[in-house]
This record gives sequence, structure tokens and C-alpha cells, in this order.
Amino acid sequence: MPCILALIIFSILGIFSASHRALAKEAFACVFKRITLRPCNTGFAEKIKGKILSKLLNRSVFVARVFNKYYELFSWVFFILMVGSTFWVLRGGYNFYVYGSCNGLNQSGFCAFDPAGENNKVTVVGDSSACGIVQKSEENLTLKDIDLSSFPAKNVGAKDVVFFIGCYACDYSRKAYPDIQKLVKNKQTNYIFAHYPAKGDTMFLGEIGYCVSKNYEDQYWDFNNYLFTADKDYVLNKTNANKILASFNFDVKKINQCANSSETKTAVQNQIQELNKTNLYGTPTIFINSKAFVGPKPYRVYQVPLNKFIFF
Amino acid sequence: MLNVDKIRADFNILSQKGGKNPIYLDSACMSLKPKQVIEAMNDYYLNYPACAGRSSHKLGDKVTKKVKETRQLVAEFINAKNENEIIFTRNTTEGINLLANSFGLKKGDVILISDKEHNSNLIPWLVLRDTKGIVIKIIPSNEDGTFNLDNFSKLVSGVKLVSIVHTSNLDGVTNPAKEIIKIAHRNNVLVFLDTAQSIPHKKINVQDLDVDFLAFSGHKMFGPTGTGVFYGKSKLLEKLSSFMVGGDTVLSSTYTDYEFLPVPEKFEAGLQDYAGIIGFGEAVKYLSQFNFQDIAEHELKLNSYITKELQKIPQIKIIGPEDPKQRSGIIDFYIEGADMHKFAIMLDEMANICIRSGQHCVNSWFANKKIHNSARVSLFLYNTIEEAEMFVENLKKIIKIF
Repeated sequence: MPCILALIIFSILGIFSASHRALAKEAFACVFKRITLRPCNTGFAEKIKGKILSKLLNRSVFVARVFNKYYELFSWVFFILMVGSTFWVLRGGYNFYVYGSCNGLNQSGFCAFDPAGENNKVTVVGDSSACGIVQKSEENLTLKDIDLSSFPAKNVGAKDVVFFIGCYACDYSRKAYPDIQKLVKNKQTNYIFAHYPAKGDTMFLGEIGYCVSKNYEDQYWDFNNYLFTADKDYVLNKTNANKILASFNFDVKKINQCANSSETKTAVQNQIQELNKTNLYGTPTIFINSKAFVGPKPYRVYQVPLNKFIFF
Repeated sequence: MLNVDKIRADFNILSQKGGKNPIYLDSACMSLKPKQVIEAMNDYYLNYPACAGRSSHKLGDKVTKKVKETRQLVAEFINAKNENEIIFTRNTTEGINLLANSFGLKKGDVILISDKEHNSNLIPWLVLRDTKGIVIKIIPSNEDGTFNLDNFSKLVSGVKLVSIVHTSNLDGVTNPAKEIIKIAHRNNVLVFLDTAQSIPHKKINVQDLDVDFLAFSGHKMFGPTGTGVFYGKSKLLEKLSSFMVGGDTVLSSTYTDYEFLPVPEKFEAGLQDYAGIIGFGEAVKYLSQFNFQDIAEHELKLNSYITKELQKIPQIKIIGPEDPKQRSGIIDFYIEGADMHKFAIMLDEMANICIRSGQHCVNSWFANKKIHNSARVSLFLYNTIEEAEMFVENLKKIIKIF
């Protein structure tokens, strides 16, 4: 068992170090003898044991004695731990590739590949001051019984559906936005957008957006694109709203009347209530064929549910 | 009395300032090299790296002179009658192979060896047993590993050659060479002596011993690796057939004929290791400055201390006689059921102590005694009592965990 353990460890270390490569070869010779039902008389096992024992002996005779006595047992324990940890590493790698987090979809535990948790950061819904990593159960996120008909949509009728719930004021939504646009363009999916005013006073943008979508359907996506990509402070400043509308040659008066109407306010409130029924806890939340992705994920993560196979 | 501190200053790895110098207790395998030897070899490579014997330019002449000087030095060192009795080889093993293949052994000829021979003095004879049908007889040692002259006397009659180790690398026991040779000669039997282990520690006088053939290596007596000497009495060397032949072994040749050079060139085929031979000469000079009695006393003092301490540890069994006086500078020990490689590795890892573990090329003895392996401490004049104490202290630590 120590030889198998050593072979695996030294093979990995041997990728980076020539001295460990030599040890890996010795370990392999030992393992080969064992699997061909011959005794391992290469002295390798003793060499490794001796090296470990001498290090322990310089620290504690008791520990060295226990290690020497139960060497085979320790080898088994370490082997099992190594198999377990290897499994977890592989699982983490797979999860990171597929979900953008080592711990699984929308899980915000520590991930060595994304130590700052960038792929899970959200603007928390319901508390305008909270931004960053939150951990809630994504299992509750659902599109079941949600009426999406009032939200602007394009490529209606496409097989795949991408539903992007974002906030113009939220950095993480802005971060995810270009990848979602790329995804929709490349995969020609049905794309539905909803603005959720998670941060700051952005309700007015929701109302303006609603009116633009109703009155200028053809230009809505360009307008929406502008709100996500233009300077955030400029966009969020209410006094600039008319200038922005004018720059798109919209009828500013008409849009303002529409946005201030009780009808629009009710419709936008209804939309927000509808969004709340998804149990979303932060923006961006992206539903791709009903599967929810919370936080700005790498582009490959958004592709996975639309790929035929996982990787392509 | 040896000035060990002064001696240690000649050895680079024993005199490094600031670093942790190794405790080198493996001189039976390989002695350390003094600076003088290394400088002599460097001098050859840097200043006169030419051929001996064949080139007539000044550089070639210098090499020829240096090689001749070394041959004379070695002859004087072992008190050979003349330098032509000295044949340069790569090591003791090559010397024994030369003898085995040149001696003209025929089917049924008997070779007598001891039961503690190094593979170098066993395998060449076993091969001849298989290829030519010679007979090998083994002299059983006493229980404590000392030589049994009675057993020898009973077996020596009718033997063609006695080929025997002088000091055993297994247990350090020195066989009574003079008596062995006397008995053998009384029975008209020639004697070869393997002095690889004895020559660094004991005065060897071939004329006093009246030994017929003898071989030793340079690397155990401060010399470079790949150097050695095969000695034979002149009249006997003349009778030996050639072993390796080719360049430098013939006076002349035609497409159909050749004429060999006289001894020793006849046996020194091909271009020689001139740097090695010159370094070997320096090693002989270096060793010659010491009194062998002083070396023996120094080694005995260290051996006695280590033996006394090891005897206090019940698990440890020392191979060979209990009395360190009979074991030269060697303490070979084992623990029943333990793999002694582990001890050697741990001593090295823990305290930079270098000892040898395994079967020390005497596999036949270990197989016969059914002992897995042993750990061997071998001392030389550069070792100190502090080193011996460090070894014992660390060994005791290791023993505690078993």
C-alpha cells in the first residue's frame, strides 16, 4: 500500500520535479512487482518509511514509535483519504467548469479556483446596501407558475429560453450582461429580460423601460443595451433620463406620460411581484431553460445547459 | 599517535566550514579522498594530459615517468621484489578475474576459498566451474567467523590454488595469511590473497608473507575509483597467459602474428587510466606517511567504544568475534527480523551518518546463515570518537521505536 500511495503522490510531484520523478519510477517498480505477485524487494518501501520515521524521530520518539508500529494502517488511512480528496478535487473541478463554483450550482463555499467567489456575487434583493456573496438555497428558485408574458422578449418560439433578471444599477448584473447577450446571439435562444430594482432608486428605469418596450418595440433592445453598458452614474441620474430618451429619438413627453401613469406603475409592480414569486434572492439571476444561475458566471457555464453534451 | 584534526583538514567533506559535515562510516566500501590525490589528478588533466609509453614528446615522457614512479611506489609499499610485479588494474575484481582466466585451470582442478568471500572472489571461480569444470571447495570458518586452520589444512592437499580474503569486509576478521601460505606451500599449492580490505589498515609485505598473487583496489586506500593492483611473483607472472589483449600489450604485430611485451605491459591492455594511476601513486604516498600501528590503535579505540555500546543493546547481534581487536575497523550488526536498510536510511536522514546496509557483496554467507541483511560501520583514520558517539546516540534513538 505505501508503494501505491507513493506512486500516486510522486507521479504528481514528478510533473514538476525531476527528483520526485525518480522516486515515482522506484515506486512504480515496486507496484509492478506487487501486481505481478512478486515481493517488492526494491527497498523502496523501506526507504520511504525510513525517511518519514527519521523526520518524526527528531520530533517525538512516541509519535515515531506509533507510526512505525501502525505504518501499514496509516498507509491505508492516507490512501483512503487521498482517494477521497482526489474525488473531491475532481468533483470540485467538474463543478467549477459546469457551474462556476467548486461546490455546485450557486453554492458560495470556498473554491480554490475562484477564491474571491466572483462567480457567486450578487446584489441582494430587499436590502439595497448588501452586495457580495450570499448563500441561499437555489432549489427554491423557480419559474413555475410565473407569467413572463408582460416582459420584453425576442426570438420568441425558439427552443431554448434565457430569462435574465438583472438590475441596471448592479455591478454583477452589468458583469453578466455581455455574456448573456453573446449566449443569446450565438445560440439564438428566446430571450426575456426583466429589470429588478435591487439597488438604489431604479424603479424609474423599470417604468421607462416598460413604456419604451410598449411604444418602441423595435428599438427597445438597443435602449436596454445602453442602460447596461453606458456610464452607470449617468444612467442612474434621473435628470439624465430625458436626454437618454431623446438620444434614441423617442417621444420624450409620451414616454414620461406613460411612465408616470398609474397603469404603468401597476404593471411594473405586478412584474416585480411576479419576479418575487421566483424566490430570487439577488441579481443577476438567469434562468436558462428553467435552471437558475445566480451571480455572474463565466460564459462557459451559461453554455453548458444549451450544449448537446457538457463540453460542446 | 594520529593527529586526526590535521588529517581531517585534508578531506574536503570533513572540513567544510559552516556546513554540516557528514559522519562517514563507510570506508570499507570507499575511502574519502585527500586533497593531495585530487590535486595530482587535476595536475595531470590540466598540465600534461598525454599518453604514456607511446608518445615521445615531453608531455608523454612526463606521463610515462609518473606511471613508472607510481609502479615503483606501489612495489615499495608492498615490498615487491621489483616494479614489474605490479600490474595496474581497475580494481581487485579485475585482478581476480585476470588470475582466474590466465592461470590455465583445467577440468577437475580444485580451488579453495573461504566461506566469507566477497562476490569478487567467488563468482569468477563459479563461472569457471560452469565453463571449465573446475572444483570449488569451501573452508568453513569457526562459529565466530575466525579462520579455522585445521579445516584449511584438511582441505588444502591436492588443491591447485588457494584464493582467499585477507581481511573480510563482512566482519573485519583478518585471516592468518602467513600461516595459510606456509601450509599451502608445504602442499605445493599457490596462494592468492584478496587484500582490498586489509591494505588500507595493515602493513602488507609480500616477501614476508611469501604470497604468490595478491590484489587490491585504490579506492579503499584514498585512491581514485577505477584503480587497482594485481601483484604476482615475477616467475609466476611469466607463466600466466594473457587475459585482455590489444593495444599496449604487444611489441609488434603482422597480419598473421604478434609478439607480446614482457610483464607487466603484457597484462595492461589499452590506454590506461593515467590520471587514476597518478592519483593512486599520491594515495600510496599519503598512506605511507602514517604508521600502521597508529592506524590500528585509532581504529581499535573507536571500534571498542562502538562495540561496548552496541553490546548493551539486547536486540543487536554483531557479526564476527565479540572482541573488537579481531575485527579491524569493522562493526557489522543486525537485528533479528529487521531490515537494516531502514537503519542506514534513518541515520543518514537524522544525523548525516553514512553507513552501509545490505549483504555487502557476501550474499553467499547471508544465504547460508539465513540472515536478511546487516548494517556495517567501517572506520578509518579520519574518524573521531565524537563521530562514534553520534552514531551510537542516534542508533539508540532509532532502536527505541522498534
